[in-house]
Amino acid sequence: MTAAPTSTTPAPTQRETENVERTLIDQSARGPVLTFFTTAIFWLLVSVLLGALSSKKLHSPGTLSGFGFLTYGRVWPAYNVALIYGWCSLAGMGVATWLIGRLTRVAIKAPGVLQLGAWFWNAGVALGVITILSGYNSGLEYFEMHRAARLCMFVGYLLIGVWGLILFRYRREAAPFISISYLVSAFFLFPWFFGTTDLLSSAALPGVMKNVVNAWYQSGLFNLWFGSIGIAAAYYFIPKIINRPIYSYGLAKIGFWSWVFLGGLTSMTKLSGGPVPAYLVTISVAASILLIIPIATLTTNFVRTMQGHTGLLAYSPTLRFVFVGTIFFSVAAALQVLTALRSVDSFTHFTWWGYGQTHAMLLGFFSMVMFGAIYYITPRLVGCEWLSRTFIKLHFLGTAYGGGTIIVLFLISGVGMGFTLNEPAAQDMAFYNVQQGGGWGHLVKTYIGYGLFGVAQFIFAIHFLFMRLRIGQPAGEPTLFANPGEAH
Amino acid sequence: MEKPSILFTGILGAFIVSCGTMVLMPHGDIGGLLPQVAWDENQPSPSDQYPVKLTGGDGHLPGQVAYTSNGCFYCHSQQVRDPQYGPDMERGWGIRRTVARDYIFENTPLLGSMRMGPDLANYGSQTWRNEPAEDPKKPTKRDKKWILTHLYQPQTIDNNSKCPPFRYLFETVELGAQPAANAVAIEGNKQVIPTPDAEHIAEYLLRLDRSHELKEAKIVIKPKEAAKK
Repeated sequence: MTAAPTSTTPAPTQRETENVERTLIDQSARGPVLTFFTTAIFWLLVSVLLGALSSKKLHSPGTLSGFGFLTYGRVWPAYNVALIYGWCSLAGMGVATWLIGRLTRVAIKAPGVLQLGAWFWNAGVALGVITILSGYNSGLEYFEMHRAARLCMFVGYLLIGVWGLILFRYRREAAPFISISYLVSAFFLFPWFFGTTDLLSSAALPGVMKNVVNAWYQSGLFNLWFGSIGIAAAYYFIPKIINRPIYSYGLAKIGFWSWVFLGGLTSMTKLSGGPVPAYLVTISVAASILLIIPIATLTTNFVRTMQGHTGLLAYSPTLRFVFVGTIFFSVAAALQVLTALRSVDSFTHFTWWGYGQTHAMLLGFFSMVMFGAIYYITPRLVGCEWLSRTFIKLHFLGTAYGGGTIIVLFLISGVGMGFTLNEPAAQDMAFYNVQQGGGWGHLVKTYIGYGLFGVAQFIFAIHFLFMRLRIGQPAGEPTLFANPGEAH
Repeated sequence: MEKPSILFTGILGAFIVSCGTMVLMPHGDIGGLLPQVAWDENQPSPSDQYPVKLTGGDGHLPGQVAYTSNGCFYCHSQQVRDPQYGPDMERGWGIRRTVARDYIFENTPLLGSMRMGPDLANYGSQTWRNEPAEDPKKPTKRDKKWILTHLYQPQTIDNNSKCPPFRYLFETVELGAQPAANAVAIEGNKQVIPTPDAEHIAEYLLRLDRSHELKEAKIVIKPKEAAKK
């Protein structure tokens, strides 16, 4: 598809050929990737509203209590489903689709299949959120959706995931790039975890095996789905933007294999002390402690790759989002190790701490990396650059500080709650008492945390809408925080 | 990137290891648990069986469905841990730890992962929460009326409770010649009565009792001691 050299024009350099090819691949991904991003951002806004409401109910439980569909026990799971399956998964699949095209150097054929998959997935998420709000709940955390919703999502996923793997089959380049390993593993493993859990949770599995399967699913979801896609994107964008290879390919390989093998073994710590065989918890504790290996290799790789190039953080929005995201990854994964320790677990179990951990993974790490990726990819699909650097700055500040507030307050109130839980004299359970502490944390979380985070996401959504309407800067010069050389 | 064959084999291996140890292995251990039965000599049927199958063909009581669908388990756990993990028993949430056998007849046990409110694994047992009988707000043995009042307006029972009011599980009807037996509030010439869902939740809670001794989970606190505390 490249311009054939003729006698009158000089032969195109390899660089020019590659640029044309890249543009063609980007164009082939345009439809589905934009559908993924647009619907993901819609669910992001929905989940911010639901999240703020569920947080508000923790300090003023009477809020909107007359409506069944707005009770805490329905808003909270609906928030999680909208966030996990709506925003995070759709954004992740969009970024992954684009990355697979880029990394395998294959133009996406029949993008309609991916579009169809995206709409099936969206229908499933919508059905899931609506059925939860109207009173269905499977009783399995992070998997509360009605079976019909799960089926819809699964069909959608098969169209997307199988298509992704087919693209991989026709790859033209087996670039020694670690991202593709993470993407292939995420796309391959997710349906196995999702499908197995769906089958087992609907089967006549006796008693607590349901809870065991539920905990197992969570390790697949958080580590091997979101973790892997996020790491893949970080491994692509950081070297790309600073224009330098990753620090060590050997470390990356160790990190990958230890992550894939350990990631699926860690979450039985959620059942520590519970009515399940004790060895399950022991294995998970051991696996969680071994997570130090992938965390250390990944962190070393990201930090050493960036070394000497941190100055670019002042200019490139993508780099800033992605790099801060990788820091959050190290924090979220380290929290996983820490929480597995018996001494820490004894005052974090059954508290908000666990929510702090999932939010560090979803809001701190994954969402940050996805925002960075969307800032990079969208201009290449729509043909114009982001309208306003102020918008991007505000989005970054709101996401980092708002999201950070949510995470930190979940963790702190969790520890406070844990100490009270361990004090048997506190029979009246002061930990859920608004006046005696605990309440203020949620109050700040609602208004500062979700407030800042929410405003930032609305700005981002409007900015993205402008892009879709092609209201932006002329293509060519990316919108940076500051132009190189400019004081900032 | 690895060679595709190595990559796919490795990933598949990771899944097999994960699913094998985390799902298949425990299923082999606790998947086939049966109730504990005791036989008297010369009797054709067991004299004692625990746990017993709950009514409802799918193992769900109507109340459990309502309890799940309103998300009660996001704040209330239903599991009692060994004293080395925390003061669950000291709080009076149970007299022994709960084990897998306690839940074999439940379709989806609501173990919970959060304790914004008290644990309810033994809510319907005699000794739950060791509360003094003379406290009018907190009778030792909670009854249906108490639960319904709590559901309607938790803050009337505990001013600091973070439990949301479940007003939508109640309906306001005309006050007849005298208030209905199950009315939780009277407002002018209207009275507030529970819907079937609210009634079911109360009945379900009162049936929660996992204090029967099991051979793998001996009673740690004797019931009499528990009542004295």
